[in-house]
Amino acid sequence: MMTQDTLTPLPERFPYACQWEVTCRCNLRCVMCYTDCFNRPVAIRQELSTAEILRIMDELAEAGTLELCLTGGEPLSRPDFFNLYEHAISCGFLVTVFSNGTLITEAHADRFAALLPHRIEISLHAVTRETFEDITLGQGSYDRCLQAIRFLLDRQIPLVLKSTAMTLNHSEILAVKRYVESLGTVKFKLGEELRPELDGGTGPYQYALSEQDLVELNQQDADLQRDACRRDSVEPPPCRSGMHRFHIDAYGQLQLCSGNRRQSYDLRTGSFHTGFFEALPTFACDWKAPEEPALIRLATHHA
Amino acid sequence: MQRDVAGECVLVPIRRTLTEANSIYVLNETGAALWNRIDGRRTAQEIITDFCGEYEVAVDQLAKDFTSLLDDLLSIRAVEEMTR
Repeated sequence: MMTQDTLTPLPERFPYACQWEVTCRCNLRCVMCYTDCFNRPVAIRQELSTAEILRIMDELAEAGTLELCLTGGEPLSRPDFFNLYEHAISCGFLVTVFSNGTLITEAHADRFAALLPHRIEISLHAVTRETFEDITLGQGSYDRCLQAIRFLLDRQIPLVLKSTAMTLNHSEILAVKRYVESLGTVKFKLGEELRPELDGGTGPYQYALSEQDLVELNQQDADLQRDACRRDSVEPPPCRSGMHRFHIDAYGQLQLCSGNRRQSYDLRTGSFHTGFFEALPTFACDWKAPEEPALIRLATHHA
Repeated sequence: MQRDVAGECVLVPIRRTLTEANSIYVLNETGAALWNRIDGRRTAQEIITDFCGEYEVAVDQLAKDFTSLLDDLLSIRAVEEMTR
């Protein structure tokens, strides 16, 4: 009568998983960050209020959303972060938090331990202070990040550490991976993709690795090589964003995904149900499967 | 915490143990119907009697299934045993 972890297949369109960029505010200024352009007081003042976020969260819970990822910016830079987090847990979401780790204190780790997240993912850019802080531009960020990792590990909180391979840190990626492996239960994720800034700026691309550098990096590690082969050998399936997954930005705009914000539905003024089931299906995506041509269609002729 | 996800009754532990940090529990139709009858007032026997009055089920089999469900629910601390 009761099984663990097995949902029957979801309907074709169902709002199962949400990535929510709850703020663009951040205590760091990472050189490749795509949200930092809105890490300014004028933009931050326009972000969703606590009450607005809680209301929308309730709508998501009502609609059946199960997975909720709170990201930023740095989500913990919102003074109300734990109000949001604890409300999300009490709604019965499986909550993942993306963080730079540097604001997580021992008291915060205790709060996470009291109400466990699905997992916390922290960006660990490098294993040396110099490289790490060349990326974050935040003095002391390296030590604070490692300290947060220890706080979370001490409490056995599910943790993922991730790096984005760039010109600044590519010589340390394998050392980061080995460090993560030495921690035992912690998973490592490597990202290779840099994105333009939300205001269209292309600054992050100046740190992109060349194709050759990426190949050489992957060739040095069996796991990375296997992942790269898998990515290269399989034609990517058509994008299904908006079917089971969706994105909400810091201003309450519902979008297909974090990487496609060309069209939005305003959750400040409209309901989530209408946004998900009526607006999202009309949003364009270059990676979606083409619509099947209708064999017959009703035409209205006006004389 | 009980959630309705696409018509399924899902139990999401809020104060989880470390071993169930990534766990959710899905109830089948009968399990969900029984779970929704657990109200902290009626005994297991009363719930079974009530259920059998509404559905055509064999009492013995239902009692066995309900005991097994209660064991599962106790193990994840979704319910607590009470004495009268």
